[in-house]
Amino acid sequence: MKKSCIAMLLAGGQGSRLYALTQSVAKPSVPFGGKYRIIDFPLSNCANSGIDTVGVLTQYKPLQLNSYIGIGQSWDLDVSDGGVYILPPYLGAGEKGSWFTGTANAIYQNLAFIENYDPDTVLILSGDHIYKMDYADMLREHKEKGAALTIAVQEVSMEEATRMGILNPGPDGYVEQFEEKPKQPKSNLASMGIYIFDWKKLRAALIEDENDPNSSKDFGKNIIPSMLAEGERIWPYRFAGYWRDVGTISSLWDANMDMLSTTDINLYDESWPIASRCPICPPAFVGENARVTHSIVTEGGEIYGVVENSVLSPNVIVEEGAEVSYSVLMPGAVVKKGAVVKYAIIGENTLIDTGARVGTEPDGSAGWGIATCGPNIRIRKKATVPAGAMIYTGEEV
Amino acid sequence: MRNYHGIIFAYQTTPELRELVSARSAASLPFCGRYRLIDFPLSSMRNAGILDCGVIMQRNYQSLLDHIGSGKAWDMSRRSGGLRMLPPFGLPEYHTGNYIGTIEALNAVSTYIRDIPQKHVVLMLGSMVANIDLDAAIRQHESTDSDITAIVGDAKPMGTHHRFIVGPDGYVRGIDLYRRNDGAGMPGLEGYIIHKEVLLDLMDRCKAMNLYAFHKDALTLFLSGGGKMDVYIHRGYATAIRTVEEYYKANRDMLDPELRRQVFPAERPVRTKIQEHVSTYYGEEAVVRRSLVADNCVIEGEIEDCIVFSGARIAKGARLKDCIVMRGCTVEKGADLRYVIADKVTSFSEGTVLAGNEKLPLVVPKGTAI
Repeated sequence: MKKSCIAMLLAGGQGSRLYALTQSVAKPSVPFGGKYRIIDFPLSNCANSGIDTVGVLTQYKPLQLNSYIGIGQSWDLDVSDGGVYILPPYLGAGEKGSWFTGTANAIYQNLAFIENYDPDTVLILSGDHIYKMDYADMLREHKEKGAALTIAVQEVSMEEATRMGILNPGPDGYVEQFEEKPKQPKSNLASMGIYIFDWKKLRAALIEDENDPNSSKDFGKNIIPSMLAEGERIWPYRFAGYWRDVGTISSLWDANMDMLSTTDINLYDESWPIASRCPICPPAFVGENARVTHSIVTEGGEIYGVVENSVLSPNVIVEEGAEVSYSVLMPGAVVKKGAVVKYAIIGENTLIDTGARVGTEPDGSAGWGIATCGPNIRIRKKATVPAGAMIYTGEEV
Repeated sequence: MRNYHGIIFAYQTTPELRELVSARSAASLPFCGRYRLIDFPLSSMRNAGILDCGVIMQRNYQSLLDHIGSGKAWDMSRRSGGLRMLPPFGLPEYHTGNYIGTIEALNAVSTYIRDIPQKHVVLMLGSMVANIDLDAAIRQHESTDSDITAIVGDAKPMGTHHRFIVGPDGYVRGIDLYRRNDGAGMPGLEGYIIHKEVLLDLMDRCKAMNLYAFHKDALTLFLSGGGKMDVYIHRGYATAIRTVEEYYKANRDMLDPELRRQVFPAERPVRTKIQEHVSTYYGEEAVVRRSLVADNCVIEGEIEDCIVFSGARIAKGARLKDCIVMRGCTVEKGADLRYVIADKVTSFSEGTVLAGNEKLPLVVPKGTAI
């Protein structure tokens, strides 16, 4: 079955900088923004952009991700001549086989999958970014510019540029140089980790890279520099919309807070819906003495306490006398009577028992940070979880 | 696969539902923020493992078809069996009105019923709010030698109903028809587990005698012929929706956490078509009390004792009390609504003041812009 463009979504990373939140699940399946999980964004972008064939490369703790994605029905990707395919590492006949050793190696190991569709172009995505993007527009520019590779870029501040992969364009606009975390950035075009490759050129580059014993099999470190060295045309596709990497606790918290306004990203815009797979539960109930302001609340919720500036996923319970502010409560989290949760991320099905305190307001001290409780934890009555703490599943607090 | 086949009656519309059923049948009335009434029998069937199901409809069924689709939400979109929507066929040519009774509705789709491969049929009403544990009812039915098990309630129903009187031997002795108040026996919930051949026999006999009603005619014939009928008692909330008042009260009942738990128990989820993909935002000055709010709403104003369906936009300075606001409604600032049932995509412009009464809620028809 010939497809002009298929997408490959890198979802195998551990997301180690999310610590307790990715102790038992892969980063793309971390809950986000009320109804979503992170992977909903690239999957919905694919569906909305008319890309109906998506290979999802999984490796680290994929169980929840696999069942979440299913056959892609939630994103209308369950079509008869395409669909979503979970691609774990596998063994071949008589071969040793191996784990994915890098982003490029993950695609290399699935060359046969891509060949099935004989595509003209391959879109490479990562499963840890929050954004709405029309890949069809990027694809149009890729073709117009006759590029071998088009990389989506954002203009960032020079200060931010020192922490990102930076593309330096030449006078004709094509990329001349790629620098990972440059000390003295020459441009402010940061790679968003979204690539469109000419399939034949990608294939050749991947095979060549695989045979290089010194390569770390990474798109940013190896594939892009080697294509540049060979004089391939690489085009930077400028994207001005909202885009956030949610790979750390503070960036995950920040991006959740961004969902409280529609100025950065409008989730209520029906022309570009972000779909998700949610349990069906009754509408949220807001009780007699509850106060819910500047917050997102999702179905299945039961709110009897105070909720301010917070993002609540499905089935969250906030009991009477409890206070939740500037926090992210993942599905099934429970805050019991009199408990106070401030500047915190509470994992799935974690219970904050009566009178417990999690997190504090910023006090300007160096040690301050978002307090994080992983999934399935019980924070005991009147216990205290200080600002910046990281509580793992299985810990007793 | 269980040896049971579901039949849901979704053809009823009553004049007492007024504008609410001008473009839908009672079974597709929106309920509790995100559901339709037919979700209850469909979910009961699904939760009991009954995936082969016929839905009898007659007129105004566009909205029902839209909602049910292929039956996917109830796992009834199957390669073999699954869900079948049953508009009238095989009606006599002179017939132009509504089905006079359930037996007539069944006879109108009699070829379908004859072809049912399962041995037993479960009949349910499409416009009843009740989370009935059909699995338990079937297990009880199988433990007796009765040909019919009638599902009855343990609470006093609001409107007209039939009462089942059980004799000392444990079988149903008689049916007290069209009661409005309490009395002897137990109120029927118009759900039945019945042997398919027994049902076909009753349908044939009624047809031969020009009889149409299920309770008055068919069940009375069955009992007078010495048939054995058992009752299964559904404990918990149950109410049929036949009038605007019943519709309003049933929705309002869901604001009570205990009643809500009875209707939406975790172990028997009520399934419905998935529509919304975004949570609800509560604004800086939002005031929300004792209310149910579905997803994809933006609430900036004040709502109290309300049921708000998805897609609502309640502006700052708007005030709603004791209202039911269906999907996609807009209420602008300064609007003040009390005891209003706003049907889908109605809009209330700045400063609109409207008030109904608890006994006579004001129904604003679908699509109205005020």
